Amino acid sequence: MRILLVDNADSFTRNLEHLLLATVPGSVVRVVPYARLAEADTVDAQLVVISPGPGRPEDYPAYDRVLAAGGPVLGVCLGMQIINRWRGGRTAPLPGCVHGRAEAIDWAGERQCVARYHSLHVTEVGRGLTVLARNDTGVIMALGSRADRLLGYQFHPESFMTFDGGTFIAHALDFLDLS
Amino acid sequence: MPTPSTFSTCLDRRVFDALAAELVRESDGGFGRGADVLLSVPGHPAATTPFIGAGVTGELVFSARTTPDEVKDFCFGSPGPAFGFVSYDYGMLLRGIASAKPLDFPLGHLKKYAATAQYDDATGIVTVAGEERAVDGLRQRLARLEQEHPAAIAADRRSRGTRGGAELSLPREAYEARVRETLALIRAGDVYQLNLSTRFRVRWPGLDPAGLFLRLWQTRPAPFYAWFASGALRVVSTAPERFLRVRGGEVLSQPIKGTLRLEDGEYGPDGTVDPALMARLTGSAKEDSELSMIVDLIRNDISANCEVGSVAVSAHKSVFRVDRLLQMYSDVTGRLRQDRDCLDLFLDAFPGGSVTGCPKASAMAIIEALEPHSRGMYCGSMLVVRGERDMDSSVAIRTAVCDARAATMDFWAGSGIVVDSDPASEYQETVAKAEKFLTLEEL
Repeated sequence: MRILLVDNADSFTRNLEHLLLATVPGSVVRVVPYARLAEADTVDAQLVVISPGPGRPEDYPAYDRVLAAGGPVLGVCLGMQIINRWRGGRTAPLPGCVHGRAEAIDWAGERQCVARYHSLHVTEVGRGLTVLARNDTGVIMALGSRADRLLGYQFHPESFMTFDGGTFIAHALDFLDLS
Repeated sequence: MPTPSTFSTCLDRRVFDALAAELVRESDGGFGRGADVLLSVPGHPAATTPFIGAGVTGELVFSARTTPDEVKDFCFGSPGPAFGFVSYDYGMLLRGIASAKPLDFPLGHLKKYAATAQYDDATGIVTVAGEERAVDGLRQRLARLEQEHPAAIAADRRSRGTRGGAELSLPREAYEARVRETLALIRAGDVYQLNLSTRFRVRWPGLDPAGLFLRLWQTRPAPFYAWFASGALRVVSTAPERFLRVRGGEVLSQPIKGTLRLEDGEYGPDGTVDPALMARLTGSAKEDSELSMIVDLIRNDISANCEVGSVAVSAHKSVFRVDRLLQMYSDVTGRLRQDRDCLDLFLDAFPGGSVTGCPKASAMAIIEALEPHSRGMYCGSMLVVRGERDMDSSVAIRTAVCDARAATMDFWAGSGIVVDSDPASEYQETVAKAEKFLTLEEL
């Protein structure tokens, strides 16, 4: 599978690259910095992955072109918020912020330990997107649309604190109809 | 071409350290005299192989135009290990962070030597290699020092003259204000963690850098003690932290986050610490987050040059004592890709994430805006490059730069700011780390 991983100048992008390479059989991952997204060829990719990163989703307008071209797109953290914003959703500061903490959430009928790094959270879900997971205090942890082949994780499957990151990549392939 | 020569013998570690001390004392005797050295603490989790480099045969002084390929050519293009430093400011150039501040220090300085000596703690064997005459010189010194009782190593001379008060680039109020600015940026999502530092400048006519280095070494040892001469400057680096080691292609980084200052009597003469104090550090949610975040960052930074599936975390939230501080650290390991060398790894991952913050690019740009000083040597690295898949390096914290011409000593200290940081506590932690340079007259 040809995967285009867009790097929002983050310090976790290579972790995501290695997780994708290790869990998606036969994958080839091309990493493109956000600054060069405008001229990057995104049509060739079978899956576009939007990395985590600093700042707010509205700081990253170059994704509009990629998202308008249609899925499948997987977004992690900021990446999820970018997908949500493109569909008209909103984010707001998360009281207290959470950076570098692991916690258990309900996922597919079991408890899964996931890593969280975020100052903002989704407060209004974009058009056509469904909330797929919340944490125990109600913060949105995953959202997406099977029909439109869009999926976002607020937590970080690529972190060493996430117990089984591969589960979430496997789920993404299924959800985005790529398996 | 001088005749290459190697000499090995089994001897007491203290004899090796005595040789290092003797050469450090001679370093101010004129160009080409003395040696650059790296000393360590045997058995420490971050211990490195002690190194002496005597007689300079080649050097690379970094400018803003020095390329990674030139660094590689210097290190790999001729036999023998290279030793020296790479500054944080060179790291800013590598990472594309613009700065308007003047560069008042070489951006890096690496040397090759007529003779090097290295000590293997596991076997007790010292190996001296290089040009025949220089190797003979070190061999004769070792033989003489072995005859003298190692315990008789003379106490080191004190600096003369009066040390002025420390002038801080960010005194308490300014430091705490910058911490509050950082917290606002964290809450806005621009950065998740940021390391903020202040520079301390001391005017000290009569300062004796070699004596300072040796007295600190004797009283406050740490795993990466480096003495390095660069023009009129003397680097006195007392770092506890490993940045990156590569040994036969196996990569190890040991980021430190989380500090607990020990009071007198909180550790025994053998260095043991009450487990309850260690638990206070490992049980802190704030320190846990700080370290976990940097572990993820280091995994990221080594992954570009490591084999897929090889990057792992072990010994997460371990604790060691160094000096009067307890420090929490983790081991991040990986296997260097076959088509990459240790300098690819070093230069791509530099500067170390534990002294920038996360994400690194954003943190470095904010640091540049918040800090009025240049970091220079501080938060750079002292490194020994022995081959394409063999190197070790420190994170150059707790490091001073002595300038004989200006009669000044600069040192720096900082703290990691996360969302639940308290400005006053962060300032206190910063001063605690600078303490060993602030209380020199007590030594």
